[in-house]
Amino acid sequence: MSVTVARDVTEAVKVPRALFLPWPMGHHFGVPFHRDLQRRVILAALLLLEESAEPGTIRDLPIKWADVRREAKSTLTIQGQRL
Amino acid sequence: MTAADKTPAPAADPREAGTQLRPGLWQTINERYPGSMIRKESFVSQASLSKPLAKARLTLISSCGVHCKTDPPLDVCHPFGDFRFRRVPSSSKQRELIIHQLKYPHDDADLDLNVIFPIERLQELHMERRIGSLTPNFFSFIGYNMDPERFERTVAADIADAVVQQEHADCALLAPA
Repeated sequence: MSVTVARDVTEAVKVPRALFLPWPMGHHFGVPFHRDLQRRVILAALLLLEESAEPGTIRDLPIKWADVRREAKSTLTIQGQRL
Repeated sequence: MTAADKTPAPAADPREAGTQLRPGLWQTINERYPGSMIRKESFVSQASLSKPLAKARLTLISSCGVHCKTDPPLDVCHPFGDFRFRRVPSSSKQRELIIHQLKYPHDDADLDLNVIFPIERLQELHMERRIGSLTPNFFSFIGYNMDPERFERTVAADIADAVVQQEHADCALLAPA
């Protein structure tokens, strides 16, 4: 199964199954040091692997990038790093 | 009705709307690099997982261009792309790996590789027995190439063969960068 941030590209390629994230390129599993979010993406993809039956299934993980960024700022502040 | 009423509402900010951040990406790239994008006419058949995930062996395949620091990097400057791949031991630590790619922003992934190549998260899920096992090696290559047909014939076919015949994977997580 695939994770994708480009639904139109994935639709063109016609993969068997994919998890779509409305996030930027290079951030398919979220933001640095946000372990819970990174796990959530993987587990959602694995659930899709177990559940999907129709070729071309694209499932949304409805987490807005704006919310991810807000969480990232607090995560990186805890880490003492600049976002 | 005022002029303001006739003005179409601005498109919702995709960051707030939860839609694709760069809409029309396939078309944009295909115009910039004609013929570089893949479009298939039919779906790949969907294979079911033959065993519970807790007993399955998983591999990770990514176009993020990560490799072991002890391995030479792939060629990111070749105008047609580098049609090779690198094996990344699934037991690797972040400090042993490096991203060598120019075609996507990896500033955040340089801080924490799990942003694009979640090797540590997969190691944890295996230790927690959520995933039966990990293949000894994961796979990485450069996503940029100008000949998708050659790419399918070489990199994609070679990785698929290695995943099935050498690594004996039951399933694969694909992470295009």
